[in-house]
Amino acid sequence: MLNPTDDNIFVILPVFNEEPGLIGQIVSGLLQQGYRVVLVDDASAKKVMLPPANHLFQLRHAVNLGQGAALQTGIALALKKNADYLVTFDADGQHSIADIPALLLPLREKKADITLGSRFLLPGHHNASWFRQLLLEAGRWVNYFFTGFYLSDAHNGLRAMNRYAAEKINLKENRMAHATEFLLQIKQHKLRMLEVPATVTYTDYSKGKGQSAFNSLRIFFDLFLHKLFE
Amino acid sequence: MNGIQLLLIAGLAFVAVYFFVRLRNSLFDLLLLLILLATGVVFILFPELSNRLANKLGVGRGADLVFYTSIILFWFVILKLYARLRKLEQIVTTLVRKDALEEADPKSRP
Repeated sequence: MLNPTDDNIFVILPVFNEEPGLIGQIVSGLLQQGYRVVLVDDASAKKVMLPPANHLFQLRHAVNLGQGAALQTGIALALKKNADYLVTFDADGQHSIADIPALLLPLREKKADITLGSRFLLPGHHNASWFRQLLLEAGRWVNYFFTGFYLSDAHNGLRAMNRYAAEKINLKENRMAHATEFLLQIKQHKLRMLEVPATVTYTDYSKGKGQSAFNSLRIFFDLFLHKLFE
Repeated sequence: MNGIQLLLIAGLAFVAVYFFVRLRNSLFDLLLLLILLATGVVFILFPELSNRLANKLGVGRGADLVFYTSIILFWFVILKLYARLRKLEQIVTTLVRKDALEEADPKSRP
């Protein structure tokens, strides 16, 4: 039903000091499914260099800027390469490639411009600890406070958008506050947004790479400044 | 004039010289600084003035009034600095992004 090769579907994979084996695994999994992959290395200590492949685009920031900046760079390249649909994907192995078609479906049916993965729409789609669930609950309220959207999942890196939405989105928050900035811009440009169930699997590796509670404070501070100056 | 007055005025004079050398081209900043420095010198030379002003505003001592206003001024300065930092960060981002895109896509290089 959904054949990715029909359209130019670009998966944007921002990486910063990730396990090279894991990146290779995710990239080859995505390429096998017919997606084009934009790998944005946000100045990892050890330069990420996968063997060149058809439909694989590799970029590298000269200095580390943050995930938001890496995503925006990836979006820019995908648009240059005539992407029809764009998917953002975390490179720490917490997302499942099999969830992507479900995110693209509402876009192709023209029911939405942008879809956000959510681990809480359906039961059993996550293995987050109670503490992380508490943080995410706080994140929902922060999002609501700053954007007016009360989403089921505050901080999910899996999103899909059509070209129209990607051309509107322009992330200025270089670090993790970009997740909320996404919502702000969805609202600002009146994009049609839909939440779609997606699994999130925390492994010991992704937990080590992920957001600490202290980082949440940093995000809040960045958002505060964003509201003040933008 | 007593010791502390000399010390404070010398300090202000130092700041003035430093800024005159550095910010020669920004007229508005210079004017603002000049006004602030002049007020400072006046209050140093005539401390009674600050006391009278403070009493009018419902503050006990002139020194307290100066203290309160400088807290507000500092907040203002911090916010201005943050705004400038964000601006710088956005400039760096634009440059790094442009560089990364050009490197990945050499054909587009002019």
